[in-house]
Amino acid sequence: MKAYDRGSSLFWLLLSLYVAIASFRMGVGTPRSPGMGFMTFGSSILLGLFSLLIFFRTFLKGEEAEISPIGFSGVMWKRILFVLIVLVLYVKLLPVLGYLITTFLLMTLLFWILKGSAWWWVLASSFITTLATYFIFSKWLNCQFPEGLFGL
Amino acid sequence: MGFFDNIILGFQVILDPNNLLFCFIGVLIGTLVGVLPGIGPLGAIALLLPATLKSTPTSSIIMLTGVFYGAMYGGSTTSILVNIPGEAASVVTCMDGYQMARQGRAGPALAIAAWGSFIAGTLSVVGLMLVGIPLANAALSFGPPEYFALMCSGLIIVAYLAQGSIVKAMMMALLGLLLGSVGLDIVTGLPKFTFGIDELTDGIGVGPIAMGLFGIAEIFTNLEQSLEGGKIFQAKIDHLWPSLRDWAQAKWAIARGTIIGFFLGILPGGGALLSSFVSYAVEKKVAKNPERFGKGAIEGVAGPESANNAATGGSLIPLLSLGIPATPTMALLFSMLVIHGVQPGPLFIKDHPDIFWGLIASMYLGNALLIILNLPLVGMWVQVLKIPYRILFPLILLFCLIGSYSINNSTVDIYVMILFGVVGYLMRKFGYEGAPLILAFVLGPILEQALRQSLLISKGSFTIFVTRPISAVSLAIGGLLLLSTVLPYTRKRRGEYDKLKED
Repeated sequence: MKAYDRGSSLFWLLLSLYVAIASFRMGVGTPRSPGMGFMTFGSSILLGLFSLLIFFRTFLKGEEAEISPIGFSGVMWKRILFVLIVLVLYVKLLPVLGYLITTFLLMTLLFWILKGSAWWWVLASSFITTLATYFIFSKWLNCQFPEGLFGL
Repeated sequence: MGFFDNIILGFQVILDPNNLLFCFIGVLIGTLVGVLPGIGPLGAIALLLPATLKSTPTSSIIMLTGVFYGAMYGGSTTSILVNIPGEAASVVTCMDGYQMARQGRAGPALAIAAWGSFIAGTLSVVGLMLVGIPLANAALSFGPPEYFALMCSGLIIVAYLAQGSIVKAMMMALLGLLLGSVGLDIVTGLPKFTFGIDELTDGIGVGPIAMGLFGIAEIFTNLEQSLEGGKIFQAKIDHLWPSLRDWAQAKWAIARGTIIGFFLGILPGGGALLSSFVSYAVEKKVAKNPERFGKGAIEGVAGPESANNAATGGSLIPLLSLGIPATPTMALLFSMLVIHGVQPGPLFIKDHPDIFWGLIASMYLGNALLIILNLPLVGMWVQVLKIPYRILFPLILLFCLIGSYSINNSTVDIYVMILFGVVGYLMRKFGYEGAPLILAFVLGPILEQALRQSLLISKGSFTIFVTRPISAVSLAIGGLLLLSTVLPYTRKRRGEYDKLKED
């Protein structure tokens, strides 16, 4: 589990360095006249110090995290990755195909991914969900969904 | 206007059909998210935040607060019947609630949880009325140093109460401050960390971040596991009215839970979760037979359930009187009010009596509605518990997508939400918590403004934070908490070092 802490602390350290440099360029100013980067510079320095603390603690003998990170072993990677890709595709296609078509496709894929249901159930559930949310959010709550190329 | 005139004003506001409907929707959704494991009140409020944009601030705060205290009621049902906490503040209810259900006392367990919640919830609203107004008056004399110190100590307390490492929690609070600084600078008006993206000039929205960290990340975490729910307790649920013996055993637990919950709720970073744990510990300590705890002691249900409901009223006090959200949930309510052009703070009650007193009245009414929803209708929630997660998760995901899009009708917000969903998922994997991040994110701009104003007042001297009594005391509390975590650690290391030297 120390490897998780070591990796994550290095990531935060790099991020803090980036923010500190960017803040410095923006202008830290002085305590008498704080500049635009004053607060972010201070926060990033503290973030960097805490990252170093976590990083060096992993080298101390017998030192363990108060709560061990959960870890990735046995994680259903494919399922999470699939949902993530589907979500990104949804955002890409939403302005092109419009709310109704894109949402129907999304719900079909999401209901289908977890199996255990007949195809007609998947299609019917997706259809009903899409229409119900369209009427609730678009017609009742006046949300403006993209109509896409087909005007749907 | 006198006290009773204000109460009447509050009931006039809540009896408006629109507000009444929002109150009902709020407590209904609150109970639903409380019952359903996986999505808590924080995620639900983040989800509903965009839906409130088209309504009035009064209706919005009535609904979102209803979600918050409604979830406290609903959470106990799942804890008692399934032994899985519906939301975090009901974790401790599992210990004795489920044991009572196994002994055929599910009805009395549910009943005492609901009645305890009702009594504590109602009394905490009385406390909110009595403490909120004097505190707001006192807060009129607070300047930027006091606000800065109070917010800093609040962030330290949230980090201190984090489940994992305090260092990691502090890091998340700092990350929240950095994310909160994205957008236009408060003094110069120049863009900061916007990377040339126009949508970021207004800053990152709290909705997409909260939905990502608490909604999408939760879904990703659940997708790792088997998607079948826990086993629901099958026996018939009856005796939904506690017996006289139950009342006699639980009455002081309810009273103590109410007091503990209310006062811990006021503290920055306190909230419902801490209150329920402290209440359970106190009940065990004062019990004549502490060995009954964990085996179905009714006080172990009554105390924590009363405490987590009392905390809801308490946690509204710093938000409405000082303008400082003390918990992540309050941070979302703060954002909602600001989006509606209402500034919480010392002048809030004076400037917006309709919102404040309407909210108070709605909480009286909401608690009464929740008793009806959670006792006679408990069978309905048992059916809800049977809905498999494979059906729920696509719906939650879709609501998150619609919610984040509808804030600005922008797909950039959806990308932000997905990004923070991945970040939130990885944070859980690496042992980092989202709660300090979201609180610091909302407090960030106010904190920065208070810091810069304080330094301008003191002509660059940081002693301004220790020469003013309120800010000095606040910072001292934060500092002592940090010391209390550092000292045992250094003592332990020194002990190991001495041992090594002796060897």
